[in-house]
Amino acid sequence: MTICLGLEGTAHSFGAGIVSSEGLVLSNVWDMLRPDEGGIHPREASQHHAYLGPLLIRQSIDDAGISPKQIDIIAFSQGPGLGPCLRTTATMARSLSLHLGVPLIGVNHCVAHIEIGSLESGFNDPVTIYVSGGNSQVIAFAGGRYRTFGETLDIAIGNMLDVFGRHVGMRFPAGPKVEKLAKMGSTYHTLPYSVKGMDISYSGMLTSARRLFDEGLPLDDICYSIQETAFGMLAEVAERAIAHTKKNEVLLTGGVARNNRLTEILQGVADRHGARFHRVSPPLAGDQGAMIAWTGILQYGVGDTLEISSSGVLPKWRTDEQDIGWKE
Amino acid sequence: MRLEGAHIAIGAESIITKVALWDRSFVLKTRPSKPYLIPAIDSSLRASRTSRECKGLNVARSLGVPTPAVHAIDLNDYSILMDYIPGTPLKQVASTLGSTTLGNLCYRFGRIIAKLHRGGMVHGDPTTSNLLITSNEKTWIIDFGLSEMNATVEMKGVDLHLIKRALETSHWDMQENMLSRTIEGYVDELGKEAEPVLERMDAIRERGRYH
Ligand SMILES: Nc1ncnc2c1ncn2[C@@H]1O[C@H](COP(=O)(O)OP(=O)(O)O)[C@@H](O)[C@H]1O
Ligand SMILES: [Mg+2]
Repeated sequence: MTICLGLEGTAHSFGAGIVSSEGLVLSNVWDMLRPDEGGIHPREASQHHAYLGPLLIRQSIDDAGISPKQIDIIAFSQGPGLGPCLRTTATMARSLSLHLGVPLIGVNHCVAHIEIGSLESGFNDPVTIYVSGGNSQVIAFAGGRYRTFGETLDIAIGNMLDVFGRHVGMRFPAGPKVEKLAKMGSTYHTLPYSVKGMDISYSGMLTSARRLFDEGLPLDDICYSIQETAFGMLAEVAERAIAHTKKNEVLLTGGVARNNRLTEILQGVADRHGARFHRVSPPLAGDQGAMIAWTGILQYGVGDTLEISSSGVLPKWRTDEQDIGWKE
Repeated sequence: MRLEGAHIAIGAESIITKVALWDRSFVLKTRPSKPYLIPAIDSSLRASRTSRECKGLNVARSLGVPTPAVHAIDLNDYSILMDYIPGTPLKQVASTLGSTTLGNLCYRFGRIIAKLHRGGMVHGDPTTSNLLITSNEKTWIIDFGLSEMNATVEMKGVDLHLIKRALETSHWDMQENMLSRTIEGYVDELGKEAEPVLERMDAIRERGRYH
């Protein structure tokens, strides 16, 4: 059995998780920086990681009930993400690898979301809808790589909800509050619905939604309209990807996967195509270390390790640039 | 429209039926309802895409781009009657073609998109499923439901970005050749006007994430 410690730190969360080669999550702890004003500040987030990282790593080892000597591999989120956050996380991973004398593995954050979701669901080959504060993508495996079939052309869905929330005085993250109010809304106000090929755009509907609020329309109706429009767009591109790839598994992951209305809509899309559906459970859907650890184990199995000298971070690492040697 | 025929394609977006009338073949394209959208969004999308498609097919034709002629439109059931094109989508035949033939078809694809752009229009879903190749290697373009007029550099850049994306996900082992020949056709047709659009295509790819 191989034991891997995975460190995640691509954006505002830092996480440490320990997973065994049998697919058991032995521990998984994280902390998220909650910005009070404005979006996330890369430098503040990296300071957060530097400050809390060692404590969280210690806690993950204690929670797993192992001694540091039992760790066989160190994996870290090498990209994509915010440069300062990635560098802080990579530094911790490198020193752990040197100190323990174990191999170092660089994991692609998006690939990790898919792999931990596949582990939890038992899916082999899903169309993945990955929705979070920083990402909105529809990804599927084709020709030896995970390929992005569609993504947002401007802002991510979680970011759109947070920016709207801030405009109307909600606390960060605004997603749960928008969902709650949307349940009480019933009147649909038209918002720009923007699908281009399999890509989507949320900035136009964000601007219009803010205007509706400034005009004094009821907030619950606006939240309802935002959800139906934004999720409808996502469902449509997901459906196109399913029809296009003819795959029969649909995986929903990322922080926004918590939303029940989005889940219901995507479950409906999957049913329409006779596909199985799985929503990744909240502890494994957000940014955390277990997904990095598990993907580290998969990469280790095919000899995909890094030399310290070539372990530089990859802020713009694309999903389809990672070879997926463990899948045929 | 109530017309009998055989389904030739059932996509995410539409049902395509081949119908015989007056000894000729036509295609009836109908946009069914999407149950996961609320009715207000669903019906407005079906209506706007049906009319965009008609308009797009006609405007493209007037710009010298081969498209099926539209004969009738029914906004009650969101259907369009158009010519049947006896061809195969490029997506299906690409892997069976030699790289020169494939490159030449892509070159023509690039010129077609450039002609639309010069006419102030974007296609909106420029994939290799929407390019039909007939036996004489003539290229036809279809599926204008997401097309838009009064195109800006941004909109044209998105169109090219979508081509790149479609090649990446459907033709990964041939994408370099296909993309470079498509761009070549685009640039040959548009000349200097192509530059800002190509730059925008690259910029668009970098967006959509934190960094
Ligand atoms: N006019 C036509 N002549 C021949 N085949 C067509 C025609 N229109 C559509 N098809 C076939 O149906 C498929 C789907 O049509 P399309 O208009 O692209 O619909 P969708 O919006 O669902 O993609 C095409 O890929 C093509 O094979
Ligand atoms: Mg089509």
